[in-house]
Amino acid sequence: VFVFVFDWQVEPNATIGEIKSMFHKSHVLFDIFKLFIRGKSLKDEDVLQHLPVGTTATFYFRDLGAQISWVTVFLTEYAGPLLIYLMFYFRVPFIYVPKYDFTTSKHWVVHLACMCHSFHYVKRLLETLFVHRFSHGTMPLRNIFKNCTYYWGFAAWMAYYINHPLYTPPTYGEQQIRLALTVFLFCQIGNFSIHIALRNLRPPGSKTRKIPYPTKNPFTWIFLLVSCPNYTYELGSWLGFTLMTQCLPVAAFTLVGFIQMTVWAKGKHRSYLKEFRDYPTLRSPILPFIL
Amino acid sequence: MPSSLKARTSGTTELLYESFLSRWLVIAVGLVRAYLARGSYHGLYYSIEKPLKYFQTGALLEILHCAVGIVPSSVVLTGFQVMSRVFLTWAVTHSVREVQSEDSVLLFVVAWTVTEIIRYSFYTFSLLNHLPYLIKWARYTFFFVLYPMGVAGELLTIYAALPYVQKTGLYSITLPNNYNFSFDYHTFLILVMISYIPLFPQLYFHMIRQRKKVLGHVEEYSKVE
Repeated sequence: VFVFVFDWQVEPNATIGEIKSMFHKSHVLFDIFKLFIRGKSLKDEDVLQHLPVGTTATFYFRDLGAQISWVTVFLTEYAGPLLIYLMFYFRVPFIYVPKYDFTTSKHWVVHLACMCHSFHYVKRLLETLFVHRFSHGTMPLRNIFKNCTYYWGFAAWMAYYINHPLYTPPTYGEQQIRLALTVFLFCQIGNFSIHIALRNLRPPGSKTRKIPYPTKNPFTWIFLLVSCPNYTYELGSWLGFTLMTQCLPVAAFTLVGFIQMTVWAKGKHRSYLKEFRDYPTLRSPILPFIL
Repeated sequence: MPSSLKARTSGTTELLYESFLSRWLVIAVGLVRAYLARGSYHGLYYSIEKPLKYFQTGALLEILHCAVGIVPSSVVLTGFQVMSRVFLTWAVTHSVREVQSEDSVLLFVVAWTVTEIIRYSFYTFSLLNHLPYLIKWARYTFFFVLYPMGVAGELLTIYAALPYVQKTGLYSITLPNNYNFSFDYHTFLILVMISYIPLFPQLYFHMIRQRKKVLGHVEEYSKVE
C-alpha cells in the first residue's frame, strides 16, 4: 500500500481524470490505476466538488497491473479462428495424411460451413472496429493469452473434424442443413441488430448507460423478454452451426460458450436491476422465462 | 465455517474418518497377510483389489467435505488428487488387466495406503482435539518419500499400460462416425503422464510450505522457551 501526501491546489470543478494525469506527471510509473473514495471506485468523469470530500481529500489507489486495450484483444482473438479454420479447410500440409494436402472436401456442407464460420468472424472483426462502443478502454494483459487459447484452440479442434477427409455429413442431409442455415442466418442478423441497437443507445465518446428497448427492427423485439439478446442470438447461431456440421466438438464449443455467456448475462441483468428502478420485470437474462 | 454446522457434523465426520481409517488399515493388513502367505510381493494387487476400488472411490466424498468446509483443505487440490487416484484405480489398473501384476502397482498402493492411514488418523484425532504430535509430524514428513514413491508407481503403471491400450484401441473412438469426433486413449495417457511434470512439483512444494507453517510454530516456541 502506498501513501502519498500532496499539497496541490485543485479547482473544485476538476475531474478525477485531470487529477489522475496530474499524478501521472509527477509519478510517471503510475499510469493505469483506479482511484477510490470510501471503497467506491471513481470514474474519470467524476467532478471533485460532487464527491464526499471537504477541504482536503483522501484518495486510495489501486494499480490495475499490465493492461491491454479491448480492441486489440478482440481483433487478435477473432482473427485467429478466421485464419486457423481456413488452414484446415484448405488442408494445409502436416494436418492430415499427405495424400490429402491442398485437396478440398467432396461434401458441399463443408464448403457452406467454411463460409458461415468465416462470415461469423469477419462480422465480429468489423463490429469491433466500427460498431461496438466499449465502456472500459483496457483489460488485464493476461486476458489476451487466456482468450486466444480458448478461441484459437476450439477453432482448430472444430475445423480439424469438419474438414477431415473422413468427415460424415449430417444424418438428415439437405433438410437438416437447410434448417441449420436458416437458424444460423436468422441469428446472425439478430445478433447484428442488437449490436446496432446497443450502439445507438450511447452517443459517440460517451459512457452513459441506458435501458435498451425494442426498436422498429423486429429482430430487437426480443428485448421485451431478454436483457442480453446479443447472447441469445449468439447461442442460436452456434446451435445452427452445430446442427449444420453435426460435429461433437462444435456442440462442446456451443455449450462452453453458452455457460460463459449466461454468467455474463446474469451479471449484466443484475446491474441493470441495481441501476434502474423502472427496469422491465418481464425480462430474463438470456433465455426468455427460463434463464 | 459456521460453528453451529461444525458442532452438528463433527460427530458424524469423526465416525466417517474412523471408518475410512479402518478401511485403509484393512488394505494394509490385507497386503501384509498376502505377502506373508505368498512369500513374494508379486501379484499382491489381487488380494486388495476390491477394497482398494471401493475405498478410493469413496474418497470422492472428500471433495464434498472440502467444499462444505468440514476439512480445511482446498477443494481444488483435494479434488485433483482424488480424481487422479480414481483415474488410476479404474481407468488404468482395472481396465488394463495386463498391468495388474506389475510391481509398479504395488508401489503406488503401498504409498497411498501409508499416506491415507496417517492422514485419516490426523483428521480423526484433530476432530477429537487429541492430536499426538507424532501423527502431525508424520503427516507432514512422510510425504517427502511417499509422494515421489506414489508418483513413480503411477507413472510406471500408466507407461506399462500403453502398449496394450494401443493394441486393443481401448476407450478410443475412430473416424468416420456420425458425430465427427475421435479420441485416442493412448495419446491421452501420454498427455496425462506429461501433465505430472508441471503438477507434481506444485503439490510437492505446497506440502513443503504447509509443513513449514504447521511444524514451524512448534520449533519457534521451543526456541523461545
